[in-house]
Amino acid sequence: MTHNRLNSGTPPRVLCLLLCAALLIPAWHTAAQSFTQEALAELHAQVTPAIGIVRYALEVTNPNTGEITKRDNLALALIVSPDGLVMTHGHMVLENSQPFNIKVFLGRGDEEQEYEATLLKKPDDVNVVFLRLKSEERLRLPHVRFARGATLALGQPVALFGLLGDPLDYARGLIERRIGAILDKPRTTCCLDDAVRYGYVGGPVADAAGRVVGVIGFDLSRAEGGDLYVRSGHPLVYQTDLFQRYIDNPPSETEIETSGDHAWLGVFTQPLTDRFAEYWELPANGGLIISTVVAGSPATEAGLRAGDIIVEFDGTPIRAKLDRDVPGFTKLVREAGPGREVVVRVLRDGQPVDVTTVLGTRPRSAQEAGEYEAPQFGLTVRELTTDVRIALNLPENIEGVIVRRVKSGSVAQIARMRPGVVILRFGGHLVTNLADFQAAVEQVTADRPQEVVVFGRLGAATGFFRLEPRWDEP
Amino acid sequence: MKYGDGTLRGVFYYAGALIAALAIDGCATLGGGQSSAVLRAKNEVAPALVHIRPVKEVFTSGQREEVLIVGSGFIISPDGYVVTNEHVAGESRFVKCVLGDKNEVAAEVVGVDPYTDIALLKLDVGRPLPYVRLGDSDRIEAGELVMALGSPHGLARSVSLGIISVTDRYLEESQMGAEPYHNWIQTDAAINPGNSGGPLVNLRGEVIGVNAKVLRGAENVGFAIPINVARDVITQFKAHKRVRRAWLGLALQEMLATTDDPTQRGVVIADVDPLGPAEEAGVRPGDVLAAINDKPVHARFAEDLPALRQMMATLPIGESAHLTLQRGSETVAVTVVAEERSALKGEQVEFGEWGFTATDLTPAIARRAGLDARQGVLVSGTQPGSIARNAGLNNGDIILEMDNEPVTDLAGFREGYRARVEARRPLTLLFVKRGALTRFVLVEQDRELLPATPLEAITETE
Repeated sequence: MTHNRLNSGTPPRVLCLLLCAALLIPAWHTAAQSFTQEALAELHAQVTPAIGIVRYALEVTNPNTGEITKRDNLALALIVSPDGLVMTHGHMVLENSQPFNIKVFLGRGDEEQEYEATLLKKPDDVNVVFLRLKSEERLRLPHVRFARGATLALGQPVALFGLLGDPLDYARGLIERRIGAILDKPRTTCCLDDAVRYGYVGGPVADAAGRVVGVIGFDLSRAEGGDLYVRSGHPLVYQTDLFQRYIDNPPSETEIETSGDHAWLGVFTQPLTDRFAEYWELPANGGLIISTVVAGSPATEAGLRAGDIIVEFDGTPIRAKLDRDVPGFTKLVREAGPGREVVVRVLRDGQPVDVTTVLGTRPRSAQEAGEYEAPQFGLTVRELTTDVRIALNLPENIEGVIVRRVKSGSVAQIARMRPGVVILRFGGHLVTNLADFQAAVEQVTADRPQEVVVFGRLGAATGFFRLEPRWDEP
Repeated sequence: MKYGDGTLRGVFYYAGALIAALAIDGCATLGGGQSSAVLRAKNEVAPALVHIRPVKEVFTSGQREEVLIVGSGFIISPDGYVVTNEHVAGESRFVKCVLGDKNEVAAEVVGVDPYTDIALLKLDVGRPLPYVRLGDSDRIEAGELVMALGSPHGLARSVSLGIISVTDRYLEESQMGAEPYHNWIQTDAAINPGNSGGPLVNLRGEVIGVNAKVLRGAENVGFAIPINVARDVITQFKAHKRVRRAWLGLALQEMLATTDDPTQRGVVIADVDPLGPAEEAGVRPGDVLAAINDKPVHARFAEDLPALRQMMATLPIGESAHLTLQRGSETVAVTVVAEERSALKGEQVEFGEWGFTATDLTPAIARRAGLDARQGVLVSGTQPGSIARNAGLNNGDIILEMDNEPVTDLAGFREGYRARVEARRPLTLLFVKRGALTRFVLVEQDRELLPATPLEAITETE
């Protein structure tokens, strides 16, 4: 009875729902061009053979202590050309982390192929990294072709392709999302409406017309203001036009990006907000207030000082008003070329002053710093670079090398040495740089004394460590 | 150079060994004679035990607050002098003491010394009070039975029993990283928060220590300040309300830090403060100090250092001292004029309208910040949502200039601040030091800090 009654009660409601559906679905379908199941399956078959896995080790430097930790990492690798150019997300190379031992795995199951890969120079203006697969034979790989000029609109559905996790044996999966927001600053950027798993980052994005229109990105590049969005949980879509030129003309091969080609002025700045302008009774045209002048930099030599406001650099007006405008200036200086004479126009006490300076070469960073390991003591040290000096607030007149690693159970650890100690003397030898330290270690090792006294500095204080080397150990 | 972690770890292992030893021996019980000795000793001290309730000024997140805390203390003379810890009575607005007869009386703070963690209070009740006898902490032995009396977790009149575990424990990390002037008595008599300032008593009923700290996470590893250290401090408090110490600007390390050779005598100069008198006299790190005013000094182990520091602290201030140094094979004689050591803590002030707190720079902070001379004030906290926080002022910033005028100390800054608040000046420019960098901070006093607007309100105004 009950069954019957229910049956007899449903038809009008079902009818109503069907009617609504009949009215609504076609309209919605045309407006938003959603995916049919067939279309998704077809895209999956087309795109996922180009998805591989990149496994690498990452060396992460703690910018404050200089301590280095290593860890294994993996990410989605997208083949973007048949001859083995691979694109992956930009977090593989960050300011304080450097990948090494990079391997790319393509194909699945028994057909999986392993390739060693070379890291190419990371582009400045988009947060992706390119790799070149190493192979003796000419490669002909399945790859993704990006549609150019396609724009995405708010609310538009997109299909994303990526890797499922280790428990699912990195099966290639798909999900559907929508463009949830379009940001207009600092450049037009599409955000997804919801988070995606890590395995989708760097993966291809397709529109309902079946075109691959971009990839999922973590974030903006540093030049664009860096990690503005990483904490919001809304991934970005990098559209083809942002990175296609790097696929057409891949960046040069480089082990580590060197600062040697970059010009350096040696100032820290903050934007001239309208309130700062009001305080100094200046027109609200923006600019960069010099907050710190780095000792020994071209800026110091040129007589620039804290409080000067940069309004023009080498003919380019500087109109920074917000924090995110600062990286643009850094890029401008960096690309001006070391050794070039430039005119920096500053406002000093409200009056324009033209300062001529010869740009220097950007000092080496902690990452590029020379390193020396003395295994007999369990010590690895690095040269003191400008960035480490700033991070540790070390005065210019302190010269030495900084301890980066102390091996567990080593002679140095027993003597209570630890990362961050700046070695000023080693076994009676003055240490002002890495070469001094190496020479001191070699001399001490030849002399084989029972004790080696190390004089060092930690924070603002100095002190001694007494090493008792185990010379008899192999 | 500080080895705090290592020292504490060492203490931890030592404690582990001690616990194991007790477990093997089984639980010790007291014989009849000892039991009555414990009772007698307790009865001698208990009437002079004080439960202390200070209301302290605490500065957190850019705000000044008053907090009621609980500690312990003991009366040392019939006229009402009470000894406790500096971390109990320091920075207090009022101090109330509950005496053995459960009556509560107000106490005056006579002096506080953060370097030793000792404070002296004075009770004025118009009648003679029961008081304790002070023992001689130079004549104690590990293994001696001792009692800790006080208010663990606020529970007044509590007594716990144990032994002296170590008579001279060296703890490098004392208050705020200052090098310690004394070793500690380590005991396994239960000490908990609230015991601070209470007496450590031997079986003769004499106070041999002032309970002050425990090793967190360990069981029954407590530390007391030797009473002889407290006695010196008390004498100075009674004479001039504060402890005057000579300062040469030297940091010392034990001889073992540079050599294992036991025939080498003296103490290693580990660090010379660039602004101190020793630097001026030409003392260098690595010199071995062999004698002070022709009196030989020696510290082979870290435990020997506090006594040497104490000896140097008692040099006459403003007068010349002769140091004999060993520099390699050379003997060097230098003369230094001892200065008075400055306060360990700077005064702290709340700047309520802008929503931050700041403190005077101590020489130690100035040195860490890389400042050549005493200048600026240190931001110790900023309130969320405040004018200061909005302006981007950070905890740890050192304010060097205000509207292009140098800021030299807290008093001067306070004056300038007051004037700007009263004049409601819209914009004030601060120039601050943040680590190795400097930065401009614009304080916008005219910017209204609106309460969060509900969503409905926004819709309605459209």
